[in-house]
Amino acid sequence: MTFGFGNTANVSKTDRFIVRILVVEDDALLAEGLTSVLNRAGHGVTHATTGRHADLMLRDEAFDLVVLDVGLPDIDGFEVLRRLRQRHSSSNVLVLTARDAVEDRVHGLDLGADDYLTKPFSVTEFEARVRALLRRAIATPARWSIAGLTVDVAAKRVRSDDGPIDLTPREWALLELFLTHPGRVLSKDQIGESLFTFDEHLSANAIEVHVSRLRTKIEPAGMHIRTVRGFGYLWEGGDE
Amino acid sequence: MNDAPPKPTSIRRRLLIFLISSLLMMICGTAVVTYSVAVRSANDAYDRSLLDPAFDIADNVSIDAGGAHVDLPQKALEALVYDQVDKVIFQVRSPANAIIDGVADLAPPPAFTSEQFVFFDTAYRGEKMRIAALRTPSGLVVQVGETLHKRNRLVGEILAAELVPAILIACASIALAWFGVGRGLLPIEDLRSEILNRAPRDLRPLDVAAPKEIAPVVHAFNGLLEHLRDANTLQQRFLANAAHQLRTPLAGLQMHLELLLRRELSAELRAELARMHGATVRASRLANQLLALAKAESAPPQGQQFEIIDLRSIADAAARDWAAKAHAQQIDLGFALERAVIPGDPLLLPEMVDNLIDNALRYTPAGGSVTVNTGCDDGVPFLSVEDTGPGIPATERSKVVERFYRMAGTPGEGSGLGLAIVREVVDRHGGILEIDSCDERGGTRIRVSFPRNRRVEARVA
Repeated sequence: MTFGFGNTANVSKTDRFIVRILVVEDDALLAEGLTSVLNRAGHGVTHATTGRHADLMLRDEAFDLVVLDVGLPDIDGFEVLRRLRQRHSSSNVLVLTARDAVEDRVHGLDLGADDYLTKPFSVTEFEARVRALLRRAIATPARWSIAGLTVDVAAKRVRSDDGPIDLTPREWALLELFLTHPGRVLSKDQIGESLFTFDEHLSANAIEVHVSRLRTKIEPAGMHIRTVRGFGYLWEGGDE
Repeated sequence: MNDAPPKPTSIRRRLLIFLISSLLMMICGTAVVTYSVAVRSANDAYDRSLLDPAFDIADNVSIDAGGAHVDLPQKALEALVYDQVDKVIFQVRSPANAIIDGVADLAPPPAFTSEQFVFFDTAYRGEKMRIAALRTPSGLVVQVGETLHKRNRLVGEILAAELVPAILIACASIALAWFGVGRGLLPIEDLRSEILNRAPRDLRPLDVAAPKEIAPVVHAFNGLLEHLRDANTLQQRFLANAAHQLRTPLAGLQMHLELLLRRELSAELRAELARMHGATVRASRLANQLLALAKAESAPPQGQQFEIIDLRSIADAAARDWAAKAHAQQIDLGFALERAVIPGDPLLLPEMVDNLIDNALRYTPAGGSVTVNTGCDDGVPFLSVEDTGPGIPATERSKVVERFYRMAGTPGEGSGLGLAIVREVVDRHGGILEIDSCDERGGTRIRVSFPRNRRVEARVA
């Protein structure tokens, strides 16, 4: 696939139901795969093969998500990212790096990447990250369906097929945290910080209790929160 | 190629052989010269005392009608030729060569030259003798001779006085040379220990203050190291490039196979594609590991790019990367992380932890558990990964860290590079890699401990 604007030209900029994604990847095979996955999910995809071209496109158009390979033939992905952030663009950026390049991950996040994936990654992993980022990018949908659960964000209500589920404010906050971090391991420290309030400091034990209560309520409906022993929790993300 | 290796020549031995032989020649030469000088000195000293009695005797010879005869009483004559050490003889011959007095069996002197008297050596009754012969104007010939004991003693004394100090000096020179060579060769000893103490892959130039004489050797050696370093760098760059170039197409291939697997497929085709997918994943991993190994090997030697790193935070990052995979394999991945701060390489340490966890997950059956620990044991920072897999027999433990070594009958599809990378990284940090069993039931515990660093401890305290 060559880069071009053709496949997004017919998408109205006000039409927020179609998500616009820029894939910046110089390897044709990988770019084609990424494009195909995103197209199948119903997103509008544009492809750039060089950093310079990506930079030009990003100046012209606003994308909801940029999938950005670091190793590009001319200017590297970091430079593209740096210029993007210099223009105060709020596009979400998913950086693709090599697995061994730890410094790339850190550098990328420092420059304002929203997430990173290390090559090679599975399609499922890629889809989960894209979903999570897009949830941030576009207005949060009023309702999510996860496994047998229906989550009404605005009303802070959760239903299973068997009826409504009552959640305490803490459990609700936890559920929201997991929903917005599919496929990500959340350490107890992180959870504690996210749920921190001035009047209550959450100990590791308290977090365990809250997670355990949340689990008993949502697991029958098919949403599983896994334990990473001695560390934290992981919701692997399910079909929405 | 069956030739015995040439015997190493010793600088000290060669030097000493040269020194001893030349000293010996010098001493021999000195001895010859001293001897001839000593003999001449002895003769100079004693010949006069032989000539005096000859004159005395000649003065007392009277010639009359009855012929010539010595006008001295026997006692006086004896006193004239008496000596404490040597036997003294005399002989008086008439102008007609008839023996007038003294010993009869002494041959006449050799021909007189211009002098009135002559000294010469001869043998008399089997003994060497020094003779002073005197010819008076009247034609009388008086010979007085003595044995050589006095003279020989003087010669001996002169020789001793000259040669004993010379021999002592020679011995002292040899001893000094022996130690001096040792001292002189100290820089070579320094050089040797510098080379011996090198880490095997440390190809930095030697940094020793070499004296002028061995500086060319050090220089040449450093040149060789530089060539090796260049060759090494080239090889590692090639490996890294090759691995890197392989990685992206493999990632693309893997993605396309996954997309294909999502389609409606016959069971046969699905199985085939799944096999291809598996092979692609393995190839990706191998490319990554080769790259990691090349990086670990080409990393600058100990400490050059080290930062202060908490092993806990590296294990923390690993927890995020590996939890999903562990769950997928139904393995309980757990962490017990305490602070363990070391000076370390920020790129290589995560590689080490990743490979340890990957290795543990690979060989632990579903339902098992893998636990990562970090902390300090008696102040010694460590990281360990324990699993409930089949364990590594004691006899295999040293081999599993070799490249591409895979235990016979090992299930799974390991590359045999994981623990080699771990060992490489551990070596770079001067750490210790231990492999043992978790308990009597088996399982493997791989523990990496790092040298305690008081400076870091002080800084993070």
